Amino acid sequence: MKGKVGILLAMVVLFGVIASGCIGSQETSETKTTSVELTGDFVKDVLAIGKALESNGVSEVKFSAWGSGDPNSVMRVYGIVEAARRINKVWEENGVNVRITITDTHYVASFQDAYQEYLSKQPLGQAGDFFVNSYAFLPTLADEGYILDITEYANAYKNVIEDFYPSLIEASKFNGKLYGLPQDTEARPLYIRKDVAAKIGFNLEGIEEKVKNGEFTWSDVYYWAKKAKESGVEWGLIHRKGSAHPDLIQFIFAFGGKLYNEDSGKLVVDVPAVYKWLYVEWKFAQDGLLPKDIMSWDWAKQIHPAIVEGRTLFDIGGTWYWTEWQTKEYYGKEGTPRPLKPEEVQAWFAYTLFPAGEKGLKPVTLSQPFVWMINSKAGQQNPKYDELKDLYHKLAFLMIIKASDPDINAIHSVISAHLPVRKEAAKLISDEKWLNDLKNLNLDLDPQVKDNIKDIVATTVHPINAKFLADVSYMLEYTKLAPAHPKYPALADIFKEAVDKVLRGEMTPEEGVNYIIQKINADPELAQNVEVVGEIPRDWKFP
Amino acid sequence: MRDVETRPKRGEWIIVLTILFASLPLILGFALLIISSFSKDMVTNLSLSSFRPTIENWINVFQGRLAITGGIRQNILKITLNTLVVALGVSGIVTLISTLAGYSLSRMKFRGRKLMMLLLLMLHAFPGVALIVGVYLLYRLTFPQEPSFVRLYSFFYVVLARAALEIPMSVWLMKGFFDTIPWEFEWSGIIDGASRIKVWRQIMLPLIKPGILAVALFGFLAGWQDLIYVRTFLIDQTLATFIEANIEAEYSHMPLIAAAGTLYLLPTIMFFLTAQQLLLQGYSGGIKG
Repeated sequence: MKGKVGILLAMVVLFGVIASGCIGSQETSETKTTSVELTGDFVKDVLAIGKALESNGVSEVKFSAWGSGDPNSVMRVYGIVEAARRINKVWEENGVNVRITITDTHYVASFQDAYQEYLSKQPLGQAGDFFVNSYAFLPTLADEGYILDITEYANAYKNVIEDFYPSLIEASKFNGKLYGLPQDTEARPLYIRKDVAAKIGFNLEGIEEKVKNGEFTWSDVYYWAKKAKESGVEWGLIHRKGSAHPDLIQFIFAFGGKLYNEDSGKLVVDVPAVYKWLYVEWKFAQDGLLPKDIMSWDWAKQIHPAIVEGRTLFDIGGTWYWTEWQTKEYYGKEGTPRPLKPEEVQAWFAYTLFPAGEKGLKPVTLSQPFVWMINSKAGQQNPKYDELKDLYHKLAFLMIIKASDPDINAIHSVISAHLPVRKEAAKLISDEKWLNDLKNLNLDLDPQVKDNIKDIVATTVHPINAKFLADVSYMLEYTKLAPAHPKYPALADIFKEAVDKVLRGEMTPEEGVNYIIQKINADPELAQNVEVVGEIPRDWKFP
Repeated sequence: MRDVETRPKRGEWIIVLTILFASLPLILGFALLIISSFSKDMVTNLSLSSFRPTIENWINVFQGRLAITGGIRQNILKITLNTLVVALGVSGIVTLISTLAGYSLSRMKFRGRKLMMLLLLMLHAFPGVALIVGVYLLYRLTFPQEPSFVRLYSFFYVVLARAALEIPMSVWLMKGFFDTIPWEFEWSGIIDGASRIKVWRQIMLPLIKPGILAVALFGFLAGWQDLIYVRTFLIDQTLATFIEANIEAEYSHMPLIAAAGTLYLLPTIMFFLTAQQLLLQGYSGGIKG
């Protein structure tokens, strides 16, 4: 009996083994491709992913795109919409039955708010698959694991990556790994009113070169600002307000200071440079060349009208001012406010780098590149996400490669007055024929995208504006980036408070520096992350 | 002391003027906002020199765009509807729970009643911001795995979470209203054979209509104006998050924001205008001798 049971058991086990083998072999024959190697050939890669998705029964891939910034920067999300259309076209032409649908185009004006929203919603899987925001947030998001490391994918696309300006690719890295592709950048020129300059005998011939060589410094800016004031012009200088980041900290770099110690990974308060910055602000304000209360001025009612109406000689602004002045009704000299014409902006404004603080130092500008980032959970609203994650992630990467197409980047640059991030895009904006096609929207673009950008295109696409962008592109060679450090925003806010108090005359520059140090020490976490270096220079003179 | 009806008119004028004067900054603020929404420029000072009439702002708001040129269009009607869903949801839950709880705390004796009332008051002392971490944790724990439910669940959760913040105060408020109703009403009902729940529904509730309205109104306003809970938990936008997301002063065309702000104010103003008579009415019944 026992023997019979033994034989029976042995047969059951044998049957089990054979059956499992059969099931296994059947599975092997049904295994679908769930991973594709990127080759660097875009069409080939897109087709391989499309076919792999199709063989897994996926016919629709859903993605959402989140963007932020000024209203003219809509290509930050429409770039993704357009990339989806271009990939869909490749699939359609090659008989692949898969389509990408962009389910959500979420866009908010405040990029800090967008970042906060992303932070709270990413862990719940509710954040956008694509996220365009300042490079400043990239380290935190990468550190949290909220965005995708695309280093390996990018290795296959070296030909595209190498076309980006290297400093911008560096800004998209964290711990040596690439976490995004640059979307745009900008420079912050010093604008000079040509008509005011002519009135006071300020010869602007060759000013760009003089600034580049460090011959024209902030002492010269002071000298001419004072002349302008004496001749009856309301102000010598108007600058931006709000957080001292990133506009006013240009002074620190212009005075040869630094903000970040790469060796220790800490932020730096470079006392001599900060003191000189505060001194310049104080001197300008005390002599009535710069409004004492500029930090609380209204953008639309005070700051921009003062500049476009020629009530100041100098202005520290951004490249995007150039088209902003053409789209918003800031010029009210004739009674009813109206926007400027491109010809007027060209006739009235000269632009240079932010001059060196003193002789022997270099001019600067400051950029805050925006970066396409991919959610580390990209594609999760799609079927079989766990099995097909690799395909979805690679497809998302190919989407941002496509969204970085030179024409998409160039359209964004022209309509929002940001600088192109690729050399190929820079060439396009100098191409008259292409500009004409853009003006007439005679480009191969998604109808939804065309419809949404037609108003902006009508007001901003002009050879004068394209020439301006081409003219200021060289500034990127002088650009500095604010440190992408989690504690930097807190430090920038302290700088802002000190600038405000110094401008208003509530503090001397020396007291301003001490105030900054005290405020840092009052916050233990900040104090741990900041090094205070150097001392107040006693024998320094300005101007 | 003279009765209201016999008080001299002169004194009344002084009171009216004082109230008007005290609320002038508020009225002025709202007036400037509404005027700006119909102007090409913000009217922020008292002169009307920057008032250039236009209805463009309102057209743009209804088209869901907050920029003069370009910008991404959003479906403002859907956003308004989302706000309404949250506000009505909070209002409904707060009203239901606080009328029930207020009645029990006012009329029934049970163990721990006093402690419960004390704890309710303590709960009210916690601001929503202080609780956000815990509430977020709960959200993560109860989050549905099925993606198609997430959107719906986020509405459900935000309504519950926001209502929970309003309930402690509303319960106290309702208890106060129930306290003003004489016991005799209830007794007569019970003697006639009605159950407690029937007494509550058919006798008590009609008597405290102003209280219910007040609680419903406060609940509605809490949901309508909530920003932090809505931004943290809700996937869709409401008017509050829509305005907040676009208010960055440097980029925004402020008259457009003024139009969105006025739209945001409208239900509140309408609610107060239509309900103020009922709110002031209070209990005015009597007891049969």
